[in-house]
Amino acid sequence: MLTVKDLVCYYGDLQVLRQVSLHVEEGEVVALFGPNGHGKSTLLKAICGLQPPRAGSIQFRGAEIAGLPAHQIVERGLAYIPEERHLFADMTVLENLYLGAYPRHARAAVKKNLEFVFHIFPRLAERRNQLCSTLSGGEARMVAIGRGLMSETSLLMVDEPSIGLSPGMKMAVFDAIRQIHQERGMTILIVEQEIQHALEMSDRIYLMKKGQIAFERKGKEIQVEEIEKAYF
Amino acid sequence: MKNLNWKSLLSIVVIAFILLYPWLGASSYNKHLFILFFIWSIVAANWNLMMGYAGINSLGNIGFMAIGGYTAGILAKSFGVPAFLTVPLAGLVTSVIVTVALGLPALRLSGIYIALLTLIFADSLPSVLTQTRDITGGAMGLHEIPPFYPGMDKTGAYYICFVFFLIVLWIIYRVIHSSTGMAFIALRDSENFAYCLGVNKFKERLKVFALSSLLTGAAGAVYVHALGDISPTTLGIEPFLLTIAMIELGGVGTFLGPILGAFVIVFGNEFLRLAGTLRLTLLGALICTIILFYPGGVIQFITALEHRVEALLKRKTSPAA
Amino acid sequence: MENFVNALISGLISGSLYAAMALGLTIIYGVSRVFNFGHGVIAVIGAYLTWYLLSALGVPFLLATLLSMAFMAIFGFVLYRLTINPLLKKPNWEFSTVLFMLGAGILLENVVLQVFGPRVKSIPLLVEGMLKVGFLQINWHELLLIAIVVIAITALSLFFKYSRTGQAMRAVAQSIPGAQVVGIHIEQIFGMTFALAFVVTGFSGILLGTKYYLNPHIGWEWMVKGFVIVTFGGLGSTSGAVVAALILGLVEAIATLYLGAIWVWPIWFVLFLVVLLLRPQGILGGRM
Repeated sequence: MLTVKDLVCYYGDLQVLRQVSLHVEEGEVVALFGPNGHGKSTLLKAICGLQPPRAGSIQFRGAEIAGLPAHQIVERGLAYIPEERHLFADMTVLENLYLGAYPRHARAAVKKNLEFVFHIFPRLAERRNQLCSTLSGGEARMVAIGRGLMSETSLLMVDEPSIGLSPGMKMAVFDAIRQIHQERGMTILIVEQEIQHALEMSDRIYLMKKGQIAFERKGKEIQVEEIEKAYF
Repeated sequence: MKNLNWKSLLSIVVIAFILLYPWLGASSYNKHLFILFFIWSIVAANWNLMMGYAGINSLGNIGFMAIGGYTAGILAKSFGVPAFLTVPLAGLVTSVIVTVALGLPALRLSGIYIALLTLIFADSLPSVLTQTRDITGGAMGLHEIPPFYPGMDKTGAYYICFVFFLIVLWIIYRVIHSSTGMAFIALRDSENFAYCLGVNKFKERLKVFALSSLLTGAAGAVYVHALGDISPTTLGIEPFLLTIAMIELGGVGTFLGPILGAFVIVFGNEFLRLAGTLRLTLLGALICTIILFYPGGVIQFITALEHRVEALLKRKTSPAA
Repeated sequence: MENFVNALISGLISGSLYAAMALGLTIIYGVSRVFNFGHGVIAVIGAYLTWYLLSALGVPFLLATLLSMAFMAIFGFVLYRLTINPLLKKPNWEFSTVLFMLGAGILLENVVLQVFGPRVKSIPLLVEGMLKVGFLQINWHELLLIAIVVIAITALSLFFKYSRTGQAMRAVAQSIPGAQVVGIHIEQIFGMTFALAFVVTGFSGILLGTKYYLNPHIGWEWMVKGFVIVTFGGLGSTSGAVVAALILGLVEAIATLYLGAIWVWPIWFVLFLVVLLLRPQGILGGRM
């Protein structure tokens, strides 16, 4: 479904991605691990068009999307949920979710997707008319994920969904992601520092270091300790 | 090294020419234009020091010049203060007024507020002048302001302005190459990095604001003593536009840019007079065109040309060596 | 008492006109962070165009307004695409757009001067006559102006609340990366925002032109008032701008009554300074 080949990315003069290649198949959950500041978020941003790559190719459902602007990539059914959330703070939960369905193809499915979001995050249904600036960190994370789901996506890229959350909230978020995969059959690419939880739900994992893929494994074939060791 | 020689040689030739020009049969009118060039390049260079180096988006510098000009005019006319005292006094008065009333509040705010505040400040000066008609002459302005010395002719004014021009440019050059100047270049390139180095943005900016307004106010004083009058038209839209055009045309954030720009604009404006009522239209169009298509100004052209010549020279000399 | 109440009414009228005039400024800033230093002349262009259609060509008022608004929309969009959009990609876009719009404003002001000449113009009143209730005296025309402004502001807020484009504009105003992530084409929304703001500004110019005399330079005075209003209300806040405009309109009317018209400008400037020093985010400070 998604094939990244020899992707190169720079921030100014600083090379962040050095020929990264990876692939995600339909229906898979793939986790991307690695120390902070080694290019994981940049890779996701490059795929969804927020950080244009300098070289390499990104194929999504058979079409080249490298270098396309973000809005065109979203329209092709690829959703990115940023670590920073980037919610519309002075709008209500419901307005944020509706804006998630901004792409033309998503508008027909608004009702169905909204029901699903409220199904996995019942809390959002309660707070639907609350301004996002008044939400807790966990609730805001839920809105961010829900907004991504509203875009009638076929691939969901989630960047560190559990960061900064309480242990209980972390569990709720991971449960929701598992639910999205199981009930919707959604393909998921997840970047996470909570290795244990992410590993449990992943079919495959990649480890990224210094802007390169260090190794790739089947989810069942690797232990948490081995991944942690690879960080250093 | 070769490059340095070439540049200093040219500066020496230019300075020598300016020094000798009155003896080479310059008309009184041409001397007048040169005087305007000296003064406006100082105003432009100080403005550029604020917006091109220190990132202070001021739109009120013509107002600073007017404050200096009026202060010197009033001191000289009403109190008989000699010119060698009015110039520094006018600079000081301008700097104190402007820094306290404008710099202290404005520099704590971010970019766009500084532009707003300084523009509105300069905009409210004409009504201050009408309110204080008794000493400022209101809409008529001040006339027959005493010259630098009794019986001064155009040549005398020419040389005094030239000396002033050299002194101020030397100060600005030193500021750009001082630790303050370096701090600004660091701030411009990377704000976070500069903070790590312990640069206090507010303090550094305030220093530049105070110095720039002092020199601009002094330029206003030199202007009134050299030309003899000042009126609220100085605060009008045209001088404002002309000065912006000088900075943009020459090259924002470069030392020589505003001076080159002032030269082109002061002498070019004489041709623009032929355009009559279309003059402001053309000036507006000029500013828009430069910002849109040549954001680096004339200096960028020259630097590019210099690189090309250098490359050409290298290609020619390298087989021989 | 009589004078005071009449001053209140006249303050309310000019306040609502100022509100309409300042909205375009705050809309553009709110969405794109571009501060339009050529704002005043945009209002002037809208007013002159309508005046020309009405007085020289004899087009009926409603049609003249519609035609001018269509022109303003195209003008705003094209100006954005051809000039602001490339400038926004440069590192010092914040100040270069300021200088550019200043230059463009002066250019356009002088084009208006060349085309229509320096003599003052005025757009004819919509309705004649005066309403008298006891000592109260109000022009029917001015009452109508207030009603038009109220309707226009209501329509605008409905547009921002419920239309897809309006919601996208608010989204961009609140978070550009957030807007990108949900698939909003940022540059397109910027372009539409300029179009919308130019329409609103041009429209306010027409309303102002029915109350005050028009000349090609009047835009600068309007613009500086607009600056104070949007700062007072909080840059980028639409509701803040409306509230601030009404307050300043009333202050202006009362100051004129008790101190004289000469004090209006100093009071605007002092209010501006006080707000900047005490509450730089404005009185309401919210976003769109």
